[in-house]
Amino acid sequence: MFSTIFNFELKRWLKGASFYIFLSLFFLISLLFGCISFGVFESVSSVRNSSAYANSPIALNGLINGLNTFIYLLLPIIVGTSVYRDFRYNMHTILFSYPFTKTDYIAGKFLSSLFVVILITLSLILGILTASVMPGVNPDLLTDFSVLAFVQTYFVFVIPNLIFIGVIIFTLVTVSRNIFVGFIGVIVVFLLQIILSNLTRDADNRYVVALFEPFGSEALNYYTKYWTVSEQNENLLPMKEVVIYNRLIWMGVSLFILGILYKLFSFTQTAITFGKGKKGDRATKNNFGGITKIEIPVVKHDYSGWQNFKTAWSLSNFDFKFIIKNWAFIVIAFVGLLFILLMSVTAGEMYGTKTFPVTWQMLFLPGSTFNFFINILTFLFAGILIHRGETARMNHLIDVTPIPNWVLLTSKFIAIVKMQILLLLLILIAGVSIQAYNGYNNFEIGHYLIELYGIKLLNFVVWAFLAILIQTLFKNYLLGFFVLILIMIALAFLPEIGVEQDIYSYNSDPGYQYSDMNGYGHGLELYYLYKFYWILLGVVFFCVALLFWTRGIPMSAKEKFSNAKKRFTTKLAVPMLVALLGFVAIGATIYYENNIVNQRYSQKEREKQMVEWEKKYKKYEHYDQPRITDVNVNVAIFPKTRDLKVKGYYFLKNKTKNPIDSIFIDYVDYESVFKFSKEATLVSKDTLYNFNIYRLKTPLNPGDSIRFDFEIKNKPNTLITNYSPVLENGTFINNGSFPSIGYSENGELWDDDTRKRYGLKPKDRMAKATDSIARKNTYISSDADWINFETTVSTSEDQTAIAPGYLEKKWTADGRNYFHYKMDRPMLNFYAYQSARYEIKKDMWKDVAIEVYYQKGHEYNIDRMIKAVKKSLDYYTENFSPYQHKQARIIEFPRTGGGFAQSFANTIPFSEAIGFIADVDDENDDAVDYPFSVTSHEMAHQWWAHQVIGANVQGATLMSESLSEYSSLKVLEKEYGKSQMRKFLKDALDSYLQGRTGESKSEQPLMFNENQQYIHYNKGSLVLYTLSDYIGEKNMNNALKKYIEKAAYQEAPYTNSIEFVSYLNEATPDSLKYMIDDMFKTITLYDNRVKNFTSKKLPNGKYEVTINAQVSKYRSDAKGKRSFQNAYGKTLTFKGKGEKYAVDSYPLSDYVEVGIFGEQKVKGKTKEKQLYLKKHKINKIDNKFVIIVDEKPTEVGIDPYNKLIDTNSEDNRRK
Amino acid sequence: MKLKINNLSKTYKNGVKALDNLNLEINSGMFGLLGPNGAGKSSLMRTIATLQKPDSGTIEFEGINVLEDNISLRKILGYLPQEFGVYPNMSAETLLDYFARLKGISSRSERKALVKKVLEVTNLYEQRGKSVSGYSGGMKQRFGIAQLLLNNPKLIIVDEPTAGLDPAERHRFLNVLREIGTNHVVIFSTHIVDDVKELCNEMAILNGGKILAQGTPAEAEGKLKGFIWTKIITRDELETYEKEFNVISSKYNQDNTLNIKVYSIEKPNETFINADPQLEDVYFVALKSDK
Repeated sequence: MFSTIFNFELKRWLKGASFYIFLSLFFLISLLFGCISFGVFESVSSVRNSSAYANSPIALNGLINGLNTFIYLLLPIIVGTSVYRDFRYNMHTILFSYPFTKTDYIAGKFLSSLFVVILITLSLILGILTASVMPGVNPDLLTDFSVLAFVQTYFVFVIPNLIFIGVIIFTLVTVSRNIFVGFIGVIVVFLLQIILSNLTRDADNRYVVALFEPFGSEALNYYTKYWTVSEQNENLLPMKEVVIYNRLIWMGVSLFILGILYKLFSFTQTAITFGKGKKGDRATKNNFGGITKIEIPVVKHDYSGWQNFKTAWSLSNFDFKFIIKNWAFIVIAFVGLLFILLMSVTAGEMYGTKTFPVTWQMLFLPGSTFNFFINILTFLFAGILIHRGETARMNHLIDVTPIPNWVLLTSKFIAIVKMQILLLLLILIAGVSIQAYNGYNNFEIGHYLIELYGIKLLNFVVWAFLAILIQTLFKNYLLGFFVLILIMIALAFLPEIGVEQDIYSYNSDPGYQYSDMNGYGHGLELYYLYKFYWILLGVVFFCVALLFWTRGIPMSAKEKFSNAKKRFTTKLAVPMLVALLGFVAIGATIYYENNIVNQRYSQKEREKQMVEWEKKYKKYEHYDQPRITDVNVNVAIFPKTRDLKVKGYYFLKNKTKNPIDSIFIDYVDYESVFKFSKEATLVSKDTLYNFNIYRLKTPLNPGDSIRFDFEIKNKPNTLITNYSPVLENGTFINNGSFPSIGYSENGELWDDDTRKRYGLKPKDRMAKATDSIARKNTYISSDADWINFETTVSTSEDQTAIAPGYLEKKWTADGRNYFHYKMDRPMLNFYAYQSARYEIKKDMWKDVAIEVYYQKGHEYNIDRMIKAVKKSLDYYTENFSPYQHKQARIIEFPRTGGGFAQSFANTIPFSEAIGFIADVDDENDDAVDYPFSVTSHEMAHQWWAHQVIGANVQGATLMSESLSEYSSLKVLEKEYGKSQMRKFLKDALDSYLQGRTGESKSEQPLMFNENQQYIHYNKGSLVLYTLSDYIGEKNMNNALKKYIEKAAYQEAPYTNSIEFVSYLNEATPDSLKYMIDDMFKTITLYDNRVKNFTSKKLPNGKYEVTINAQVSKYRSDAKGKRSFQNAYGKTLTFKGKGEKYAVDSYPLSDYVEVGIFGEQKVKGKTKEKQLYLKKHKINKIDNKFVIIVDEKPTEVGIDPYNKLIDTNSEDNRRK
Repeated sequence: MKLKINNLSKTYKNGVKALDNLNLEINSGMFGLLGPNGAGKSSLMRTIATLQKPDSGTIEFEGINVLEDNISLRKILGYLPQEFGVYPNMSAETLLDYFARLKGISSRSERKALVKKVLEVTNLYEQRGKSVSGYSGGMKQRFGIAQLLLNNPKLIIVDEPTAGLDPAERHRFLNVLREIGTNHVVIFSTHIVDDVKELCNEMAILNGGKILAQGTPAEAEGKLKGFIWTKIITRDELETYEKEFNVISSKYNQDNTLNIKVYSIEKPNETFINADPQLEDVYFVALKSDK
């Protein structure tokens, strides 16, 4: 009987149209996504810069599993329907009397329908393969397809996941006999998957997560997280332990659920219900024959427009109550709430330290995931409500009442909006609860209400309009739901196919962002304009929905259209056309301003401009230019109107040996006036690239100077366009927007694939370290060396404005505050201006004045920052050189400006997001005091950048960023001890290893890094810290001191990493010189692990520990390909007894730490106690250490503190 | 008060002609629409009730062009479809309040009083708090009457309301209907001849989308006076009789003999006895002569 049922079901699907519709739908979706990732749309959008193949096994796996997520939605439709159909049409009353067994029925139904779904998933392969042969694919993104990759993806991930979710859906539908339950089930699974991927992102115990994450993606990630580009391109998916265990576990769970279903299922007429039945009452009737006089009281029937509005409102309450009692709503809302609460556990976490639960953070937590929840419920309930009458078969009773269509539709719409309001209320409740739980009592209910209902709600209302339209047009609301989800996702991908402007993408907006300093800023007005624009279209949609709203018996399509024509009366046409007109008018206005008034360039066009810029002006790159020696600028900031006016001058000096006849001025798109103190003619003016060429009447002789005056101001800001960087409160601008001298290569294309396409030669991101021409410039500025700086900055009366230098004078005139700053010594041509309503806290370190300018309410960590400044000054002046300024200032700027801090001469702009609201836990070793560490990093830049500045060549940031990281680590270590180092270094290692997986060009050795953050920050901090640990802190710092003595304040040619490393090399003993090669000159990684250990107690009470550990290392090339041979072709190899694979290693003569740990109680908590730690010389892969320690060992490790770079740092220790 | 239907036609997509150039005039009082299953009764009633658009024709009631001005008719329309459901888990009281709102009753107190009244009239007051989806068939039909009374309708359309009701419920239902029917136009479709006989001042027989006969039940019966003949025969004789005579009905007696009725202007033969025409005979004659 099994085969009968199986074949019957299968045939039914294969004969039906829906199977082929799904098949082609998913083929098209897969084709589209395939085309996007294979670069088919590069002709309309920009070129995809990537050195990883888009069809490597791991990329394919990601793509197919991503698309397969949508197929989950088919599971209730296909697998659920297979049993539901029998109940729906009451077939089960007949079927269940037929002679087949439970097993036949369940297995037949389940397997046949699952088989159908699997057939549909195969269309994904077809779509991807088709995409790969489409005209326009970028061949650089493609490698040969691997058949095995498809096999792995399908048999290990796609099919098992479909089985797992299929079993859940099948069970839900079979037990409840309600397909809706299955549908909600799949949505919940879908949402749980999103939540899980959010939560597991930073999980500490990756092994456990990998085992129990039901979709296997974490298991895969367990192995592939740190895959380099080369590994991504070449490797098949790893079919190793965790992946296999994970899959077995979840197949087991699937079987178990099926087993439960088998138990629960019986061939009965009614579904299983839960809960106690009500006590039965005996029903009797006593209504025989009575004749009553019927006198209906006379009441007022009010059919006026106003009454209709009131009715729409009151009817919406009926629908709203229905929604909130519906358990689909309850379940999804509950999952959403759970999500917010779970997210709060790691709210704003950096280096293990959370932020205070400030209100904007609470509003930020739910993020796009919760938005997605609200959209799902909107799409779903729009359909359920619109078809509610029909579902309950009450529609005919309703349809014959004199209520107008618009009242009914409006009532549904209002009910949906009320539901959205309720869901948004969950954010408020969750936020306030989290705040209360954390003892944070600054409840800004007003702020919650404004953001949730004044801002966010509009976004959902616009979706509700679309949902109402689509669900009116579709008879089946599940289909309508599916279409809505597709529309939502497709809209997100519009930019990928070259549709970039917000006005073309339904419900898109330029966004808004909140900061404590500047509130929502001016962006909010534009947000409202866009939302109003979309609401107008929404009203049009609503009217269209009214035209096609079903009242009475459903009509054929033709009848619907003629009926719609009839319904298109003036009463409907007027509001519809007014809304349409308004929509088009706003759209046209925005278009006009963004495209005609301000020439708009697509990504593609910008790419072409970069090419043209290079082709046109590159020839002037090395044309002799004078250098800026003095800067004197008047900056006027107008916070109210957000305007900027700058008037100032540079002195330009000819530092070359030849006369200079022309000067190139590179500027930004401001209204600008330029003037020279000597006669000069403008020979070329380029308003597209903002590049002017002036010819001097008499050339500027070597050693001579010329004064260059400039005035720049922004065009007046409009509602749609913001022409200036000034904010109402918290302006932060730097001299990047002031004119500069000469050609800048920053405007060039850097991706070699893209360059090739435009006929440009490949180029390095940065010049070689030995490039003597490039060494004429610092990496900060290419038109100045050290400058004299003086500035006057003015702002509104309520604000303080700050720039580098010392305050000489301060006055108020015409209701504005003026500040005159002057720097007393030469500094880099790199300065910034800030203006806001600041509170100030002052302190002193010796004769250095410390000032922190901050937003009121952000007092939390001011003292930590001041302490960090003091400790930094202590350490750096003692170990490096004296501090060059008499003052150190930290100045807060809004988080909307970025989440960073930056060091200018005696001035450190510091984002409100990275320290001011950190909730530092001094007791927790795993939580870094990052307000402290960031401050000391920025303070270190006063040495490493502002005293020693590298040339604009590869490796320059080793002497700024890496050294600042190193310096701040040392200050942190001194203050907090080694414990905080571990968390910091662990994060640094993780960030480095992850950073290199996304490298789009080439991974450089630290010494030659090309401003790559994962290298100069993360690898740099790790390497320098380890080196100082190996060669000794004092020794290392002495080398740095010598280097500073040599390189500080030098003129061109500027120092490079080769020079710097030579100082380190000199300080490093011969036995450790390999570290310079490994860590600075090449990319070298270790693979260290403890295989096992034993300990036995000796008669003298001590313990003898025997450790078997494996040490190996390899070199990696720019793409992450490993090699084990040294220059002489030598490789170490070891194959352990009973081991499958041999281990290779680059020849070793290395020192690696071996550690043994016990336990001790500190304040009632068990903490680790280090019993033994020593560097052992290692020259073979397989090592055995026998060590005697005083106490009972509980854990041993090889490089236990992860001082060496190792992709699997977890197996370095063993308990 | 008069409902005028002119030249109403409707053909469904599958080719079925549900209404075939139908003309009908209905005066106030109970009007019975008699016809077999599939005769087009429901199509006609749904069309009058503004739920369906005909292909052609007009309907007029009290100066309202029904097909053009749906809303005006709906204000004075009470409709009980042949089959309906209600929102689950809602009490009769809540649901009636809901319908009262749909029918434009703005005052809360008036709504409350009215709902109470219609519940009493339909004898559902005791069960007002129970959810209607759990009602028995008869109670649900009474609920249907209760909701249609809410706007004090002038035109009431009830589509096969007695199907499936037990005899007591049926009586009760018809009584209520009769009470309302005195001052309004009530159109009442059924395939049960007795319903019409007991209740209607006027009736029409509908089949294949056409009106076959129209009049008061008494008139209709009167027209057949002297033309209906009856005889008791054995089962085996039936085929012969059917061939020879215009047999309009045949019914088993308890002794397995058959009681046949024949329509004939003259006495078919000596063995037949003249019978008083029943409404049922009118019905069968009409259907038979339409073929």
